[in-house]
Amino acid sequence: MLKFFTNSNIFFWIEKLTNFINSIFFVLLLVAISFAIIFSPPDYLQGDSVRIMYVHVPAAWIGLASFTLIALISILNFIFKIKNLMLVSKSIAPIGLMFTCLAIVTGSLWGQPTWGTFWAWDARITSMLVLAIFYLLFIFVHKFISGEEKANKISNMIAIIGFINIPIIKYSVEWWNTLHQPASVKILGSSTIHSSMLVPLLLMFFVLILYCALIFLMKYKTEIIRIKKKNLKRL
Amino acid sequence: MIENIVYMNGYGVFVWSSFAITALSCVIVYFKTLKTLRKYEKEFAKEIEDLSTEKRKTLLESSKVASQVVSSYNKTI
Repeated sequence: MLKFFTNSNIFFWIEKLTNFINSIFFVLLLVAISFAIIFSPPDYLQGDSVRIMYVHVPAAWIGLASFTLIALISILNFIFKIKNLMLVSKSIAPIGLMFTCLAIVTGSLWGQPTWGTFWAWDARITSMLVLAIFYLLFIFVHKFISGEEKANKISNMIAIIGFINIPIIKYSVEWWNTLHQPASVKILGSSTIHSSMLVPLLLMFFVLILYCALIFLMKYKTEIIRIKKKNLKRL
Repeated sequence: MIENIVYMNGYGVFVWSSFAITALSCVIVYFKTLKTLRKYEKEFAKEIEDLSTEKRKTLLESSKVASQVVSSYNKTI
């Protein structure tokens, strides 16, 4: 079983998966965008501005999920010291940062027509900004700290400390009075969003997840080559 | 209908900007990631080519990653 997780095998499967994602991506993207822009109805209160949700919500979900994954990997890495796990979190971090920033920017664009302002120091928005800062710290540690082991240790600590922010983001709309609305889509409990909007939302989420997988696979492949390149010098 | 899609009852600027910023960021990150990958592949393949024949043969036989990178690099040139 463990043999499957050798870099050589992973490298082989990365190639196969990348080709598969490339082959279905554009068709799914076209379908998802058609639903988001044309087929889904406008909201009875927010009108057409609700369509921003189809990029804002998946971006926020991906930003949160990526950091949660990085934090869990960091905890596992502290206990088991598996090198490949660090490669995974290093490859996820830039994707998470991009989607967190996208969630902030698109949220700001949604805020102007809905709340009358692009920015407010609201609990949800501020905690998302804090998440982006944690991502930046995580990435900068790997970029600017020499010595892989030291960089790994510091970045693991940043991820674990930053993990405290995840429930704060999630429950900020319940704990404080915020401009931001509470969650409409719930994993546990019934969602308060109509299926005509839920379907395009999930489609867009799926397409963006595929995009993330594509970027992750390319970044992971780069990391494997970087390690092999380093080992080559020892020959 | 097209006018509706473009203007979206006055919300078009906000909606289209959101989609455009998302698309642009995704495209930029995709090509930047691809460029870095290609750069590393090229450097790695060149370093393998520079090895002595015996070392190169041993490496290509023992490492699937090395042999795959070299073969895909040879296909691109």
